[in-house]
Amino acid sequence: MKVVIIGASFAGIAAALEVRKHHTDANIVLLEKQATLAYIPNGLHLYWGNQIDDLNAARFITEEQLRQHTIEYYLGATVQNINTDQKIIAYDYLEQEELVAYDKLIIAAGSRQLSEKIDGSAQDSVLKYKRYGEAQAALSKVKESQHVTIIGGGQVGVEAADLLTKQQKKITLIESMDYVLFKYLDEDMIQPLEQKMIENGIDLRLGQTVSSIDMESNHNLTVRLGDDSVISDAVIMSVNVRPNLPFLDTRIKRHTDQTIAVDRYLRTSVEDVFAVGDCIQLSGPDEDMVYIPLINNAVRTGIVAAANLIEPVLEFKGSLRTIGTSIFGYYIASTGMTEAESLFTNHTIETHRQKVPLTSLPHSDTVILKWVYDATTHVLLGAQMISKANMLEKINTLALAIQTKQTLEDLQQTDYFFHPSYSQMMTTTNLVSWMGERVDKDES
Amino acid sequence: MKVEHFLEKNEVREITIFNQLVLNHGVLSYKDMLDHLAVSKASLDNDLESIAARMSDFDKQVYIQYDGQNIELIMGDHISLQHIYRLYLDQSIKIKIINYLFKHQKFSITQLTLKLAISESSLFRKIRDLNSHLKEFGIKIRNGQLHGEELQIRYFYFHFYSYIEDKTTLFTVHADSQMIQTMQSLENFLKVTILPENRERLSTWLFISKSRITIKNQKHKYLREKMKPYVKDPLYHKIQVMILRYFSRYSIEVDEGEAMLHFVFLLAFPILTEDDFHEYTLIRDRHAPVAALDMYIAETIINHFKFRKLPYMLEREIYYHLTHIHTQLYFFQGDIERFEYRYILAKEKQIVGDNLVAFAREIIGTSIKRFRIEAGDNNSLFKMGVFKYINLLLLLSFKMAKVLQIGIDLKMDELYKETLSELLILKMSPIQGIHIERYEPNKEYDLILTNDKTSDLSGYEGARVYVLSEVLSSFDLANIQRIIQELNT
Ligand SMILES: Cc1cc2nc3c(=O)[nH]c(=O)nc-3n(C[C@H](O)[C@H](O)[C@H](O)COP(=O)(O)OP(=O)(O)OC[C@H]3O[C@@H](n4cnc5c(N)ncnc54)[C@H](O)[C@@H]3O)c2cc1C
Repeated sequence: MKVVIIGASFAGIAAALEVRKHHTDANIVLLEKQATLAYIPNGLHLYWGNQIDDLNAARFITEEQLRQHTIEYYLGATVQNINTDQKIIAYDYLEQEELVAYDKLIIAAGSRQLSEKIDGSAQDSVLKYKRYGEAQAALSKVKESQHVTIIGGGQVGVEAADLLTKQQKKITLIESMDYVLFKYLDEDMIQPLEQKMIENGIDLRLGQTVSSIDMESNHNLTVRLGDDSVISDAVIMSVNVRPNLPFLDTRIKRHTDQTIAVDRYLRTSVEDVFAVGDCIQLSGPDEDMVYIPLINNAVRTGIVAAANLIEPVLEFKGSLRTIGTSIFGYYIASTGMTEAESLFTNHTIETHRQKVPLTSLPHSDTVILKWVYDATTHVLLGAQMISKANMLEKINTLALAIQTKQTLEDLQQTDYFFHPSYSQMMTTTNLVSWMGERVDKDES
Repeated sequence: MKVEHFLEKNEVREITIFNQLVLNHGVLSYKDMLDHLAVSKASLDNDLESIAARMSDFDKQVYIQYDGQNIELIMGDHISLQHIYRLYLDQSIKIKIINYLFKHQKFSITQLTLKLAISESSLFRKIRDLNSHLKEFGIKIRNGQLHGEELQIRYFYFHFYSYIEDKTTLFTVHADSQMIQTMQSLENFLKVTILPENRERLSTWLFISKSRITIKNQKHKYLREKMKPYVKDPLYHKIQVMILRYFSRYSIEVDEGEAMLHFVFLLAFPILTEDDFHEYTLIRDRHAPVAALDMYIAETIINHFKFRKLPYMLEREIYYHLTHIHTQLYFFQGDIERFEYRYILAKEKQIVGDNLVAFAREIIGTSIKRFRIEAGDNNSLFKMGVFKYINLLLLLSFKMAKVLQIGIDLKMDELYKETLSELLILKMSPIQGIHIERYEPNKEYDLILTNDKTSDLSGYEGARVYVLSEVLSSFDLANIQRIIQELNT
């Protein structure tokens, strides 16, 4: 059996390794456009944060490891088109057009940071750094820049703002929503962070949308938003990513948003063709189909597709959009549905926001937790946390609780250790009204 | 633009034949029909033949009979003119072109000639013809695509799928759960209720928007300009947040333009309930163009009718309608005049009289001037505007008309007095807004009808008195009607 995988990033590589696990004799071919393998998309942030001292160290797997698993791979191989009738793929490799036939095809071509609404955003001087080459270019450009404008206040944008502020750069951050990180946090959770950003001198432009970016004669860039504009030395695009799939044949059905339509087994509309990672929608926190481009999802979908190559045996369980990060001195984590997002669902929810000490020690750090749960069944639907202490791992407990449909009452029955230096009378991941201090008033 | 513009000349004539027959109780002489259509005998004969062929679809439910002298329309109880319009529209090539454009966003000439089974030259002619009418919407078909401001394109499609093309072509998709969910989300976000009668309109719009969302290079220049006074509008802000959040769930990029489109739509058509709209009027900027014009026109109307003040609920209703009319005038270009519109208008004119029509024309003139929009002579948006104002004025006068108390005080023998009074009451009963009875002393009346020329008129406590010349004469009746109108304004 010949399995061809387009794209050798998280989804593609996870799929390749998993196919090998299931099919020791399969012929596995990875086609990757980039010249280097397995760069971690926020490698630049690791570098800026002094966690690695060479960008090249930001790799999640080596070529050697692929070889050990006898996975054939081609770097610098760009797929041009696929013919699902004849099961043939055409790709450019070393300036030649090559053809490869497949028995099973997995599309893992991921996404790009690109905007079709912002004029001038495609020019090279507007920095994107998901790929290694882009990251190298961004690194040197930012190094020589004093004032950097960041477009997009999602996880990538806010992290970049934090790291660059630490390098004494002047930062303007533009976000079209009223507050940053809006996909993960409700507005009532964001206040301490935004406060801190402003204290750090970030020029925060909220509720504004960029219309164009122009290069001036002195190589400065002018970012236009409404009637206003910002001139800076460099511009970083940290807007939402989107799939880019010009090579697909028309038999493979897509959603309106251009993602590839797949079923629960990650099969596309064409037999023997699967799609994974950033080029598909997933069932989200409310089990409706949404686009959640995250590494964890890429890896898990890769694994599930590999399991279903011969016959559908494993359903993809969906995504809770679990994230965790550290920005401006705060650890921030979120999983599942936010209160704002619940308006898109049929759930009647209740929320509870409370400030809880993390340990039993006198000067314990605290965490502000927000719980989002079904008003009648009390099934947990979402959770958000913000704290000065690193409590990020706790979000995984809550994610598991949501995935397994635990109620608030179930959670109180979970078995956990007690040690006064590390825990409290009740675990933090428990909503117990008498434990902390309630910080919201929207529930009687 | 008119619905006819989607049809060929002879088809329009055939429809006119149906219309004429309906207007004339189903029968018209051959000669009158010739005069009305101003065509040759040969062409009328052709039309009748063509109608006969087309109506075979209806399986004898509809047909036109011609006995050499009269033309007669025979129509089953379950068939209306609407069905007949539908039949004609369904086979219109121009409609098929628009449909194709909507579904595929783009066409090549070869594709389309094949699909429609027509020649290249006739396709070009149809497109040229369509373009001449799309002009008033500020849009045009070029290189197999619809070009123009996105607002205008969606607005045109909205008319097209609401009034021209059979709605059911979109309906299967409408019913899908995603649409229901979207509507529910919209209610949640804006904290409003969408009533069933408004849902259809909204889902048509949402469906159009959904299919346009991924179109590249949407133009919003004009819209952005017009939206300047609204960037701080609270409803707009809510919509913007909703749109950003909604699309952040997909791999779809949107800018403010998308939120602006929905804001305009929500205010230009009856989507919100009157209550929800009223809540909005309390927080909107009164100086923004639409609100300011609403107020100005409302005052103009109140002054015109010499009303002192409108009842609270009626005032709310009037503002609700005015905002729709004015939002359309302020943001949109073009409109489609439907078949029905002219007949309703003609009928209404008969009822309301020329005065009201002239007044409606005057207000639209004011509105156009205040919005500084260029008024082309044949602009359907303005024509429909007049039509809407007329209806608003009618609504107002119906609701404000107080019931006039009329007393009949005939001086004659009891027997005649009783019968004549009853006959007079019977004769006047079709007149709206009056209560008429035999005069009773000590009751208050607005108008007294009497035949006594000598009696002391001051005895009627200030009521207006009309002395009948000849009880039951048409002369008197006309005079009484005039007085009633005077008393009503
Ligand atoms: C700056 C940045 C930081 C991020 N940080 C995080 C994070 O910390 N945590 C997290 O969960 N997510 C993060 N993400 C999101 C994360 O990058 C994606 O979800 C993840 O990379 C998706 O993996 P994938 O394998 O589906 O696709 P991708 O990583 O996009 O990989 C697709 C691969 O396919 C290749 N390809 C595309 N077209 C072709 C073609 N025609 N022929 C051959 N090959 C092709 C591409 O070159 C690419 O290598 C970040 C994103 C960005 C932009």
